Amino acid sequence: MGIFFSKRKKISRITDHDKTILELKIQRDNLKKYQLRIEAILENDRNLAKRLLTEGKKDRAKLLLRKKRFQEQLLEQTDGQLENLEKLTQDLEFAQIEIKVVEGLKIGNIALKKINDTLNIQNIEQILEETREGVEKQNEINDLISGVLNDNDEQAIELELSQLIDQNSEILELPEIPNEEPATDQLKKEIKEKTKKSILVEV
Amino acid sequence: MTVEIKWPWQYNFPPFFTIQPNLETRKKQLEAWKTLILNYFKQTNQYILDLSDISNLELFNNSSISRSLNRDDVILILDFLTRSENAEAIDKNKNRWYIYWHSLREWAHIIYSWAQKTNRTNSVLTFYEIRSTPNEEFTELNEEILSKALQLLESQEKAEIILLQDTCGVKIF
Repeated sequence: MGIFFSKRKKISRITDHDKTILELKIQRDNLKKYQLRIEAILENDRNLAKRLLTEGKKDRAKLLLRKKRFQEQLLEQTDGQLENLEKLTQDLEFAQIEIKVVEGLKIGNIALKKINDTLNIQNIEQILEETREGVEKQNEINDLISGVLNDNDEQAIELELSQLIDQNSEILELPEIPNEEPATDQLKKEIKEKTKKSILVEV
Repeated sequence: MTVEIKWPWQYNFPPFFTIQPNLETRKKQLEAWKTLILNYFKQTNQYILDLSDISNLELFNNSSISRSLNRDDVILILDFLTRSENAEAIDKNKNRWYIYWHSLREWAHIIYSWAQKTNRTNSVLTFYEIRSTPNEEFTELNEEILSKALQLLESQEKAEIILLQDTCGVKIF
């Protein structure tokens, strides 16, 4: 049952850094509140001085304006302090971002190293060596195959080749084309009769 | 506060100030009161209602028709508002009330989406800083209500509240 009642332990996502920034921001807020307060007082004094002047109390109005001047100076000072605080806060926040950038670079570097490990120079040399050996072997085989035939064989091959070429040119010798006109029907008959006669004579 | 309130027609309708016995009518009446109260508090930018104050409040007193709502009736209406998460009694005697014209859940959502939209996540904000953001719905939001809304975000693990020298800050994730 203990499981059901035990509170799930949460890991706080607040860092010391966050706390420092918060502290600065609280100081900044306090300064801002202070400024608002002084501004309200100034506004009040201004109105009061105006009223005193209309009532003819010049001395009191002057005193009031002196006080006002003093408070205005205070306001200027707080402006400067506020600027410092805000700058510091921003620097802190920026530093945090820089840390993240460095972390990112670190991770990238590790990844690159891992890739380089698989691609180390020895491996590449070995692969290139093997490729070279393969090429050499292939060349040797080629040499072996072509090396079986000697010069005599080459001559025989040349002879056979020329013979084959001659044969081909014989086949190509065709009878000449006749120059005479083809015979008419009349002529054909005469020829036939002549040949018959000659046959008879021969018999 | 010199905000001009647009009163609904019911406000000048005398029976509106008497809780109606008929259940159907009463339901409509309570709904109308709810809209009126929430609008009134939103327009005057108020978050807390003190019942010892109601006789001075124009909201519950219409002098032109000489009608007003008594304390028990106001509590009845506020109980109705509680059911829709629009009100919450601060003390046991039901004297002081939070009026949530946005429910806490809505407030939490509004603040969270603002933080995301303006890229304020993962950095520390003071409550004062959130409340003094100009032109947002939560400008000048009651600090207690802001705290409650942020606690809601914390329970959803979207934020973490930091307490430092009794001033609060929050980190929204």
